[in-house]
Amino acid sequence: MRVVVAEDVMLTREGITRLLADAGVDVTAAVGDAAALLRAVGSTQPDAAIIDIRMPPTHTDEGLAAALQIRAQHPEVAVLILSQYIEPHYALQLLEDHPGRTGYLLKERVYDVGNLLDALRRLADGETVVDPTIVARLFARKRRADPLDQLTEREREVLALVAEGLSNRATAARLFVTERTVEAHVNQIFQKLGLSIDADSHRRVLAVLAHLRGTT
Amino acid sequence: MDGKAPETKKHRGWPQDRTVASTEISRSSRCHNQVMQRAVPPPAAPARLAVARRLAVPGRLAVLARITAGIGGTAVAVGALAVARGPGRATTYAGSSAAGAALTVCAGLGLMAAGLVISLARRPARTGDLALGAGLCWFAPVWVAWQDGPPLIPSAAMVAAGFTFPLIVHLVLTCPTGRVGSAPARVLVATVYGEALFTAAVLALFRDPYFDPGCRANCNVNIFLVRSLPSLARAVQAWDRWFTASAALALIAVCAARLARASAPARQRLLPVHVPAAVFAVAVIARAAVLQRTIVEYPFSPALFTIFAAASAALILLAGGLMSGVARARAERRAVARIAASMDEAPAPGTLQSALAAALRDPGLQVAYWLPGQQRYAGAGGQGVPEPAAAPGGRVTRLTRDGRTIATISHSEAVPGIEAQIGPAIRLGLENERLQAELLAQLEELRASRARIVATADAERRGLERNLHDGAQQRLLALSYDIRLARAAAQQDGDTPAEMALARATDHAQCVLEELRDLAHGIYPSVLTQAGIGPALATLADTAPLPIQILHPGHQRYPEAAEAAAYFTVAEAIGDAARRGASDATVSITSEDAWLVVTVTDNGPGDAALMVAAADRVGALGGSLSTGPGLCRAEIPCASS
Repeated sequence: MRVVVAEDVMLTREGITRLLADAGVDVTAAVGDAAALLRAVGSTQPDAAIIDIRMPPTHTDEGLAAALQIRAQHPEVAVLILSQYIEPHYALQLLEDHPGRTGYLLKERVYDVGNLLDALRRLADGETVVDPTIVARLFARKRRADPLDQLTEREREVLALVAEGLSNRATAARLFVTERTVEAHVNQIFQKLGLSIDADSHRRVLAVLAHLRGTT
Repeated sequence: MDGKAPETKKHRGWPQDRTVASTEISRSSRCHNQVMQRAVPPPAAPARLAVARRLAVPGRLAVLARITAGIGGTAVAVGALAVARGPGRATTYAGSSAAGAALTVCAGLGLMAAGLVISLARRPARTGDLALGAGLCWFAPVWVAWQDGPPLIPSAAMVAAGFTFPLIVHLVLTCPTGRVGSAPARVLVATVYGEALFTAAVLALFRDPYFDPGCRANCNVNIFLVRSLPSLARAVQAWDRWFTASAALALIAVCAARLARASAPARQRLLPVHVPAAVFAVAVIARAAVLQRTIVEYPFSPALFTIFAAASAALILLAGGLMSGVARARAERRAVARIAASMDEAPAPGTLQSALAAALRDPGLQVAYWLPGQQRYAGAGGQGVPEPAAAPGGRVTRLTRDGRTIATISHSEAVPGIEAQIGPAIRLGLENERLQAELLAQLEELRASRARIVATADAERRGLERNLHDGAQQRLLALSYDIRLARAAAQQDGDTPAEMALARATDHAQCVLEELRDLAHGIYPSVLTQAGIGPALATLADTAPLPIQILHPGHQRYPEAAEAAAYFTVAEAIGDAARRGASDATVSITSEDAWLVVTVTDNGPGDAALMVAAADRVGALGGSLSTGPGLCRAEIPCASS
């Protein structure tokens, strides 16, 4: 697998690069800003771009803007945003702007390189990646009448994995059940929450996240 | 008893508490009245001057002189009537018919009456004196026809008759300020006087009426005659007619230019005087044109009599216009005085300006206050205004007290003597309003300073958050990656104790990272800067200890300071609600005009706490924060961006 890493802090950039190299991933370029990132993606044609959300010059959300440009110019390149913010707003914004093959991961999750490789693989498979901490935060949100109360323990597990962006097959593998069982759970959950079932897994993720954030 | 006692006792009837404003009265009257300055000791006691003003203004001698002139003028008018009915009756317009007599007397008496009223009211005195003089001269042509009288009278009247026109030109051009003003007008006035003097002198010394073919009245006497030069006299008379016609044309031009240039309120004041003056000037031109074709000015000629009637009517209207100006000024003065009577104990800032503008019928009138502490001008609300400068057709009047400027009034040029119109009570009101403006300006400065302090603190917080994010957090992340690599190496080498130790180190690093992240978020949530109040509140609701419903959040952005104030107010209110054991809260963010209104309601028992930090933030922006039972409401000014 070939990836480009964009991260303005040199220490972190080198850390990620070394972790990936150690795991046998081909890092075709490691750059420090959005312009260099776009050039590197154009010249090296990687499978994925790992992008820090916060980069020069304003150190706000240049990463998101760069992701949008990459998806527009190189739709075959998957985009993984790395962030230090447990901020559903950014994750939702990313998923809304870039349908499919996008991910939002917390930086500290990356130091277990297994998580990073898993995320890259899932993106390559066309899935969506949402950091479990963000999903957990949305699950933990205090609500007046919590719609999650209607769900069984198992259904909640399935919903969390769906929200993280896993496909039915990946969810089935994670829970050691059949894909058909997961499908049944998903149908049940969406019916209970009053969501329409969408075959597109990416849209499904967005619907679940927006639902979790929107209900009080 | 010492010798000074009687002098002080003279003024005991006047209450001393008038002093504050009456200093100003003395100052203003000094400008207008020199007599008063001589009559009164130096301004030691302000109350004394207030008294002196009433007694000495406009000056007893001047009053006496003017009243005498008025009585004399009436005698002149009555005498003229008698003369007109005498043997020379066929030689004058006044004698030609009853209508002629009535027009002559009305025009002359009207001018004199207007002159007396104006000069006694000093609005302005010079214009009044000129009208008095013009009225007197107006009767001169009748007196020329006094055949039985002493020869001096017709001779002198012949000289005086030539001055009616210059006096009327001068009189019209001094309206309404008492000064002639523009350079062309001054040249015109000087020229007509000079020409009238020259003509009068030549005719007095060299015109023998006996040899004047154009002579109609009094063709026997000229006691000033030095040498009879009939052709010179005739030439000068012809020259005088045409010069006067040209000057009348110039007068029309000046009047028209003034009317065109004047602002609407100024034009209203000019019209009643300038229009009759122009009509009079037209009559003068018409008379010159008719006399060019006839040798003798025959009062029974229909054309000449019509012209005479038009000129008389114009002068009657002119007199009326002059008096209406006085009435108007009186009405304004009463209106200004009424402002004082209607002033509440604490009028709203700016009340005086609008009241003065209404009373003086000058909608453009503006009052500016000098704030010595800040070295700038301010409006009544304390807001900074540029230094008042006289606009075209406007004037700036500075009201001072003990050498200090209280207020500067920019007003239309057509409001003469504004300084005199503003009485002590209004001066006191202006002084009060100045103090109020100073206070409001200081308050505004204080508020701006508070806002700056909060903005600086916020900038520091944002900087701190950035430093944490880009510094400590990144280093810790890099450290975690290093530990992870070491751990993998230890795993490969089968060094279990080392691997365990490194695993513990990873957990520690993870905990520190979480703590750092919470710390950074608490210092200043980056989502607030990057995405605004709506997303920031949603994040707040994600982690709040109680369910929060957010109404109308939206993605609209507001100024940074307003968003920060709204966010920290909500955060503090939610924290307080949780402390009071609330199980539910609702946050509403709405923008009304230029205000961001934040309301937090909860179901916790008791009143919301005072929330000093949030109140300070909101107050620094000029907003307000109120709390009640389960309620916190902040109104934050913001220009929507």
